[in-house]
Amino acid sequence: MSTQAVPGDAAADADDARAFAGRPYPDWFKAKGGGRSRLVSWWVPTVMVGLPILVIVCIVIYPTVWMFYHAFQNTNMMSLFTGNWSPVGWANFATVLSSDRFHASLTHLAIYLTFGACLQVLLGTALALILYEFVRSNVLKTVLLILLVLPMMLPPSIVGVLWKFLLQANNGAVNHLFIALGFLDPTQRIEWLDTDLALWSLTMADTWQWTALPLLIVYSGRVSLPPAIYEAARVDGASRWLVMRRLTLPMLREIIAIAFIIRFMDAYKFVDKVYVMTSGGPAQSSELPVFIAFQKGIREFQIGEAAAYAIIIFVFAAILIVLFLQYLKRVLKAQGL
Amino acid sequence: MARLELQGICKGFDEPVLDRITLTVEEGQFFVLVGPSGIGKTTLLRCVAGLERLDAGRVLVDDRDITDLKPYHRNVAMTFESYALYPHLTVFENIASPLKARRTDPAEIKRRVGSVAELLRIDHLLDRRPHEVSGGQKQRTALGRTLVARPDVFLLDEPISHLDAKIRHELRRQFHQLEDLRRVATVYVTHDYAEALSLGDRIAVMGHGGLEQVGTARELFEQPATLFVARHLGQPSINEIACALEGDGDGLMARARGADLRVPVAPRHRQGLAAVNGTPVTLGIRPQHLRVLPPDTTPDGVPGEGGADAGLPVIEARVEIFEALGAIGVLLAEAGGVSLTALTSPDAHFEPGQPVRLGMETGAFHYFSRETGQNLHL
Amino acid sequence: MGETNFRVVRIVLLAFLAVWLLFTLFPLYFMLVTSLKPVEEINRMVPTFWPESFRPGNYAGIFADPGSLKSLIDSLIVSFSNTALSLFLGTLAGYALARWMRGAVGENLAFFILSNRMFPPVAILIPMFFLFDATPWGTDSYISLILLYLVFNMPLATWLMMVFFRDTPRELEEAAYLDGYTPLRAFFKVTLPLVLPGMISVAMLCWIFAWNEYLFANLLTGSNVKTFPVHIPTFTLGSQTLWNLVMAFSLVAMIPPVTLFIILRRYMVRGLSLGVVKG
Repeated sequence: MSTQAVPGDAAADADDARAFAGRPYPDWFKAKGGGRSRLVSWWVPTVMVGLPILVIVCIVIYPTVWMFYHAFQNTNMMSLFTGNWSPVGWANFATVLSSDRFHASLTHLAIYLTFGACLQVLLGTALALILYEFVRSNVLKTVLLILLVLPMMLPPSIVGVLWKFLLQANNGAVNHLFIALGFLDPTQRIEWLDTDLALWSLTMADTWQWTALPLLIVYSGRVSLPPAIYEAARVDGASRWLVMRRLTLPMLREIIAIAFIIRFMDAYKFVDKVYVMTSGGPAQSSELPVFIAFQKGIREFQIGEAAAYAIIIFVFAAILIVLFLQYLKRVLKAQGL
Repeated sequence: MARLELQGICKGFDEPVLDRITLTVEEGQFFVLVGPSGIGKTTLLRCVAGLERLDAGRVLVDDRDITDLKPYHRNVAMTFESYALYPHLTVFENIASPLKARRTDPAEIKRRVGSVAELLRIDHLLDRRPHEVSGGQKQRTALGRTLVARPDVFLLDEPISHLDAKIRHELRRQFHQLEDLRRVATVYVTHDYAEALSLGDRIAVMGHGGLEQVGTARELFEQPATLFVARHLGQPSINEIACALEGDGDGLMARARGADLRVPVAPRHRQGLAAVNGTPVTLGIRPQHLRVLPPDTTPDGVPGEGGADAGLPVIEARVEIFEALGAIGVLLAEAGGVSLTALTSPDAHFEPGQPVRLGMETGAFHYFSRETGQNLHL
Repeated sequence: MGETNFRVVRIVLLAFLAVWLLFTLFPLYFMLVTSLKPVEEINRMVPTFWPESFRPGNYAGIFADPGSLKSLIDSLIVSFSNTALSLFLGTLAGYALARWMRGAVGENLAFFILSNRMFPPVAILIPMFFLFDATPWGTDSYISLILLYLVFNMPLATWLMMVFFRDTPRELEEAAYLDGYTPLRAFFKVTLPLVLPGMISVAMLCWIFAWNEYLFANLLTGSNVKTFPVHIPTFTLGSQTLWNLVMAFSLVAMIPPVTLFIILRRYMVRGLSLGVVKG
């Protein structure tokens, strides 16, 4: 309720009676050099972070260094024990990058990531939201949640074995279920673990198990969203679809991204199921890059090559993840978080 | 019971925030720190509390240097703007917290918490959790937590700014009455100037980096040291007019820049201002120093009946807006190209465009340097 | 009109959920059914979806092998120890990173710690073997697995705890300082209770991973220490896998994680969402 007289430059001074914008910084500030001061002595945070890092470093550093070293050698299991290896420069890397087997596995990986990791996140999100929005009774919600999460509670190796058992061509339960349901003739059999389908079966088994994780994460996220906003939307008369699109999904974007990162990080290095379910076969048709590294190292004893594989895979994945994290940061900043 | 002394406090983050601040709060004094949001009031409190390390300067309580003491060793209590109540503890446990920290005996804890809760009238809420009580009750819980600790210094950071007006009034009253508070040096921070004026024994107006002025409410209001202080104290705000001073025979005139308004400088100001003749000044006119005169006054003064209005210079103005606000009436009138706010009785009637005469109590006007904002005749 | 539309949509979506539920439950159902069958029935040409004869004795049969119980105990030892250790270290690092190391240094350290989880375990398999072989306790020991799993669990614990700590307002701790609590006491009185749901969800995630891990356990251990995923393949008769026992044992091994989940699910949900919303 105040009006100023002729604005002129009086208003420019506004509240800056002694604005620092106009004056040079005082000496004590220049001497200080910025930064916050802490309430605890400097060594406390150092130890607190240092201890875990030390543990990791001790456990991981030696193997990492070892691995990097041998990636440049022509080591194999025999020579490992005789101490008889020699440097070969980038040869291992070259071999890996040019091998058809590797290229094939990259294709497999792409398929797996799309229909595995991505699908799991999408499915998990959809299911979580359906469960939350459309199931009325709270008791039922809890019961269903527990049931849906069960696959996560099994060891991946068991899941692999289980699906191998179920997908047997001749006396596997799945085929016979299809027959019983009329999808197949009694004489037909789907060769689930054949060269054509092995990778897909593997992906299916993985999706069966791991959709539960994004489901759990997104469900938890949805539970924690503030109800006030939904009340307001209801009062405004927004349709459910609109609410979903404009309210729920944007707020959950971050959570979904995190679920995706977690799945992605775990997915590209998963090897348990491959090992027990298909052994990468038949005929390497379901091999994933990490599995090849495993094979090379443990089965074929080409340690040097295996090391090179591991490094390439890690670098590749690390780059992707870092890029994704940057993207995520940018998106979040835009949202003002 | 102790005296708080700040000597040359300096603190900065990315920018300097507190620049060599020095002040003393005597035992039992209620010291109010007021200023716009973000200016560093909370930072100052945090420095006294020990939550921020000083870049330079010293803090003394009762002549004891506590600058290097950690907050948990200083005997200072603070309420946070957000109350900072422990959400997982009951009201009782929240208030009892400082006593538990000192490992006080449980019976004693119960007694003291009980008496503080009774004093603050929240004794019926002791079993509730913070999220189960209202804003005002939360604030009283936070206050209770500081009272029970019997500190040397009380620091209160905008304790009632998030409460609605009615509760604010009631709590302000409680502050006046709380003897415990009044016995100890208290620093109270607010951005509400009216509150500051009503509560404080001594008030400091804070500007960028330091204290613009420290004094009693009266001093601050009647003798503002800077335009900043003048501008923020008083409702409605002071009229600010950018002017240039010109000689006019014996006297000085203040002529508004870019407008026709000319205001004679009162004799008592002439000496102080003569020195700055020609330099740009900001003329500050409080709305209560512009009187709306009955229509039959002449241009050069009020005839006969006079009284308080006798001898006042008069200017012609034209009504722009009039607002009747319960106890007062606020008139916005334009004179010589400048919009002026004046206080009137709420019963008056004005039409927009109506001519009106304003008597000016030029003796109470203020002149501030346009450059530094300093009051030129103090 | 909109009402009917909505009903239709609802039915369709619920049907979708139902289909997925069936898909999820079918293998589990078949596990259960298989676990109750006699040996002769499991490898029939046409598998039965309901046992022709029941053998609940299968469950007792698993434990006839003393290795079975031991394997469950071994798994419990490894998973609980590792979870405790991961959580402890993760909380330490997470707190320090959340409170005191917000700048570039902190972020880089955090990323460094997290990146360890991205490591393909395969890559370090062989050198790990040599590493532990050289230690006094050897590869086939509890310690080797407990330490090894740290490589994956500790980064996760650190990252999540860091996020949870960031969520608890500093002011509460500051209020505690002013009350007279030292940072350590303030941590236990104020911070820890607030972060407990998060801690529980972290603990569960770490625990499940340690409980279910197969690859390393298989390659490093086998006799002194045998976790249950390693023990399961031993249910063979000659060259034939005794699926009924395998299934039975797997279901038994599911009981601890499922039970923990049922008990702790509120904490998990609250914890996961707390951390992840601000993640």
